Amino acid sequence: MRFIIRARQRNSRVLFASLFAAAIGHAADLRGVWMAENHADASLERAHVIVDPPDGKIPYRPEARAIQKQNFANRATADPETRCFQPGVPRAVYVASPFQIFQNDHGAYIVYQDVHAYRIIYLDRSKHNEGLGYAMGDSRGHWEGNALVADVTSFSDTTWLDAAGDYHSDQLHVTERYTRSNPDTLTYEATIEDPMVFTRPWKIRMPLRLQKGVQILEDECEEGENGRRHRIPLFKQTP
Amino acid sequence: MRLSLFLISLAAFGQSTRFEPPRQADGHPDLQGIWRNSAIVAAFNIEGQEAFYNEPGGKSVIVDPPDGKLPYLPAALKQANDNHVHRERDPTGHCHTHGVPRLLVPPFPIEIVEDSHDVVLLSETEHSLRIIPLDGPPHLKNYRSWNGDSRGLWEGDTLVVDVNGFNGRTWLDQSGNIVDENEHVVERYTMTAPDTIIYEARVEDPTVYSLPWTLRIPLRRQPAGTELIEYDCVEGERSEIHYPGTPKK
Repeated sequence: MRFIIRARQRNSRVLFASLFAAAIGHAADLRGVWMAENHADASLERAHVIVDPPDGKIPYRPEARAIQKQNFANRATADPETRCFQPGVPRAVYVASPFQIFQNDHGAYIVYQDVHAYRIIYLDRSKHNEGLGYAMGDSRGHWEGNALVADVTSFSDTTWLDAAGDYHSDQLHVTERYTRSNPDTLTYEATIEDPMVFTRPWKIRMPLRLQKGVQILEDECEEGENGRRHRIPLFKQTP
Repeated sequence: MRLSLFLISLAAFGQSTRFEPPRQADGHPDLQGIWRNSAIVAAFNIEGQEAFYNEPGGKSVIVDPPDGKLPYLPAALKQANDNHVHRERDPTGHCHTHGVPRLLVPPFPIEIVEDSHDVVLLSETEHSLRIIPLDGPPHLKNYRSWNGDSRGLWEGDTLVVDVNGFNGRTWLDQSGNIVDENEHVVERYTMTAPDTIIYEARVEDPTVYSLPWTLRIPLRRQPAGTELIEYDCVEGERSEIHYPGTPKK
């Protein structure tokens, strides 16, 4: 009985999602609060999310691997994330905080809790803004069946890919795919290209989980007298 | 003369009630699009000011009280006057997010995204944003933030948003006008023409003001093809070397 009720709820949710999709001409309803429940932000290689190349290692050029190792050694102060810079792409997807997707006819709008970064993936076949050095890149999307595919370019070189010093240049080009593989799961894939840093394109894949009853909170930073940056507390202590 | 004025105002009134906004599938007005405050003076001083240096002049956007002045309590007025000579303290000058109602007043575009569950305001400047749940649970408790905790509902064709949970660190404009953590705002968003949203914010803060007051600004729809672009500014910075994009030495 319990199983039947759950199956019904699931069916109605899927039905609702497809009605929404039909109403605004989208292939899929990706709306909701999502989070990667993994350790990819600590290290993409150690979190086993790299599906290509098959060895699960980032295909660095030799001189770039040396820079990554140096970044790793200095990560406590060098990681842009610890200084509250915008997280960049794809890192924004798997930092340890939720994000919310909104959709309309013009685009998919992704609001990250992390440093109140947001992205707009315009779906109107408009052209990229080229060469502008955005932390979060310039995103243009389209639907391939049920998958939202975002082409992201025009990056700065100021963000990292994880806390282990994995990095990129301003030649970074990311192709993302968001597929709602079941009502509670978004499958996220990103192909990462950067000829200045990597010998070949490589690919990550991970599930993102729907966060029910979760509200995106504010995440604002400041620099203390000691020069270190910290998150500003959000909740007043009750007596 | 008096009669013709009366007729004109009657006609204007008739027009505003006849305006039929575009609607979402659920029947509520569709406020989506890219908008910008067209009373630019409000970004500089909501009480209005004479033009000087590179700042525009204009009238107060405060419609209540009718004199257009903020009804400060004496200690708060002293603080606002002190801020006015120390405008380097302006939190947005340190890239902090704006607070409410200031998020709506900069001369930068804001994109509104809306469905049956939420209205989202994405501001280009400081990448400030607010998510306004329309069917959310009650306000968060003991929440102290820059942009507050928003809960919205539709009253007829007007979006009404109740905002509290402020940390009291935000300014209202560049001239140093203030609120504290007892701020409570009720906003009203009404589309009055295809390209116009009238935005009203009633602000009460009994430890700063002797009375609630209301500001009103017109938001103008931006031309088709306008897009928000990234505004990368790292909040709370005190030293320039830490800004992204600062040349490495």
